[in-house]
Amino acid sequence: MRKKECVAMLLAGGQGSRLGVLTEKIAKPAVSFGGKYRMIDFSLSNCVNSGIDTVGVLVQYKPSLLNRYLGTGAAWDLDAAYGGVHILPPYATQTGGEWYEGTADAIYHNIDFIDEYDPDYVLILSGDHLYQMDYNLMLDFHKLMGADLTVAVKTVPWEEASRFGIMSVDDEMRIKRFSEKPKYPDSNLASMGIYIFSWKVLRAALLADHADPASEHDYGKNIIPALLGQGKNLFAYVFSGYWKDVGTIPSYYSTQMELLDPDAEFKVHDTRMHILSNLNGHPAHFVGEEGKVIHSMLCNGCEIYGTVENSILSPGVIVEEGAVVKDSILLPESRVGAGAVVLRTILNERSSIEPHAAVGSDDKITVVGDNSTMEV
Amino acid sequence: MNRTIGLVTTNYTIPNYAPLTDERPSAAIPFGGRYRLLDFALSNMVNSRIQTVGLITPHYYRSIMDHIGAGKEWGLDKKSGGLYILPGAVFGFRESDGRFLFRDMLHNLSYLEQGDADYILVSSGTLVCNIDYQPLINQHELSGDPVTLVYQKASPGHARPGHYITLDETGRVTGIERASGGEFQFINSFIINKTLLLRLAKDFDALGYLNFIDLLAQALPNLRVGSWRFDGYIAQMDGVQEYFRSSMDLLRRDVRRELFNPDRQILTKIHDTPPALYAPGSEVRNSLMTAGSIVEGTVENSVVFRSVRVEKGAVVKNCVLMEKCVIKAGAYLENVICDKFVTVSENKHIRGTPDLPCVLPKGGVI
Repeated sequence: MRKKECVAMLLAGGQGSRLGVLTEKIAKPAVSFGGKYRMIDFSLSNCVNSGIDTVGVLVQYKPSLLNRYLGTGAAWDLDAAYGGVHILPPYATQTGGEWYEGTADAIYHNIDFIDEYDPDYVLILSGDHLYQMDYNLMLDFHKLMGADLTVAVKTVPWEEASRFGIMSVDDEMRIKRFSEKPKYPDSNLASMGIYIFSWKVLRAALLADHADPASEHDYGKNIIPALLGQGKNLFAYVFSGYWKDVGTIPSYYSTQMELLDPDAEFKVHDTRMHILSNLNGHPAHFVGEEGKVIHSMLCNGCEIYGTVENSILSPGVIVEEGAVVKDSILLPESRVGAGAVVLRTILNERSSIEPHAAVGSDDKITVVGDNSTMEV
Repeated sequence: MNRTIGLVTTNYTIPNYAPLTDERPSAAIPFGGRYRLLDFALSNMVNSRIQTVGLITPHYYRSIMDHIGAGKEWGLDKKSGGLYILPGAVFGFRESDGRFLFRDMLHNLSYLEQGDADYILVSSGTLVCNIDYQPLINQHELSGDPVTLVYQKASPGHARPGHYITLDETGRVTGIERASGGEFQFINSFIINKTLLLRLAKDFDALGYLNFIDLLAQALPNLRVGSWRFDGYIAQMDGVQEYFRSSMDLLRRDVRRELFNPDRQILTKIHDTPPALYAPGSEVRNSLMTAGSIVEGTVENSVVFRSVRVEKGAVVKNCVLMEKCVIKAGAYLENVICDKFVTVSENKHIRGTPDLPCVLPKGGVI
């Protein structure tokens, strides 16, 4: 058996219920983002760009599209001869079967999987964050500090600190206290939900956590406080780059619209930053004789016969003659019928707007799915 | 069991393609924003459920190998079958009369002999169309003809050099000849029984310098040759002018629908470029655009490949701009083909005509 220094475990089982229509049929990490990506692409690409070639993807909620999308992992060069991407759903045992009951429980149920690779470190990731990060730098920090657990943190504005899990640290960045959404924060270092554990320490903590009937099996609520209580070496690693947790419709909308800004912090056109995806089958896109595209991002496979302004169009979107699409995000294979007007709207994958319909308004975000519409 | 294996040829030269073929074989010419000509032949094979494809390479095969690798994108990186790279003869340099140098087949008999296949489906690597070969394979199997040629009925006044065939009332081929025009044009694809090909290889071993279709023409009196008509769109690829016209054909919705039929997708090497960005102030009309491009200027009636940059105030009309071209601010291009990595300097004006597009060679700074 060959050893892997670091194995990544990517939590992709969440429903993302606050995304409503968009996660009706698919898990949140599978939701389309930024035109040609799905949310999981950012964490997966970070793994590959950091040289981590063994990734367990923990799935639970509506995993079928995610499974198909990940395929062999080839799109991310993760079809490795040894290692690669592994989809890890809940499973049955001789004594029955259980769902993953929390983020820590999901890893607990896959201790055998991790043991197979005999790693020194385990990197815990979420499948729904927008950021670009070299995990090696964090791993170097972890080793240098002799840490048992390193938590990636980001400095947030003080007035927002009470919305996050906050780490209080000493001068050495040793974590002294962890408080989940504190009313009166004494630090503005927010946990990004990215952890590097020394595997031996995590393994023991997971076994103890599983035996505790009162536990919610959550990293923030249970594992981190337990390790702090045991006097383990917990350190905070400050990440200074762009990072967004895209959890709600307004943040899903605004983080994407920011990509259109030429001075955007997150630059998809930066050639040094290779974000890989598996949405690549379409031919080039077409802008027709009467088509008009103003300040927008378009993917391959689109056909534009109407007007598109300040919008993001995913692969295979069709905007028919006379239609006007403004301030909107159209997800893969969606279609806007002739003469329709679409304002400030997120149009779900494969959904259609009828010809001459009017959808959305300037003062709220409208989300349109096959059978349902919601406004935020 | 799949009874048909494929053979795609690229070891020939199409004259009139300079400078696009200075550094690459004709089959590797970029086309349609994100493809190379070869993608169509390979995709047509795999979309017709052919799972073993031999690719006869020319001597300067770097760009072809760079593009197809192990055949992963076409699903040809397989345990059983898959992609076979077959070295072509050096004579391909001078082979401009046809697409099927007999010597290339003679040199690669070990590929053709292998396995249980009964039929070999052959296509030139520059045949650009979307064709379902299953009906051809079925007809070939049922007819018992040992070889079936694919042809297209030419429109009146059609004049292009190539092989033309004559047919009897049952569709059997009664004549094959080189001509500069005619009614039924052979479109450089055929299916042949393995036994016939191996017999011809044995009998005509000394005639390796011939084009295989010329050889068939000679053997025709003693052969039953069938025909199968393809009525779909074929992008003409006889030289720069035809290439330019075929590129402009892609601006037609009907042509794109057929050529890029999502049920028979044309597969190509994946580059993972981000979406195309249309900056404020850009104007794009009637153009085929590819991901990764950044447009700040004006683009009309053009085909723009991936990661092209058209800066502020630049105007691009009736052009083909290949991968990673940069058109600097204030430049004006009309009827121009820019090969990959061309940079057009600020305020530079370059004009060709629709019949004689100006071609800027790869990597040039103008």
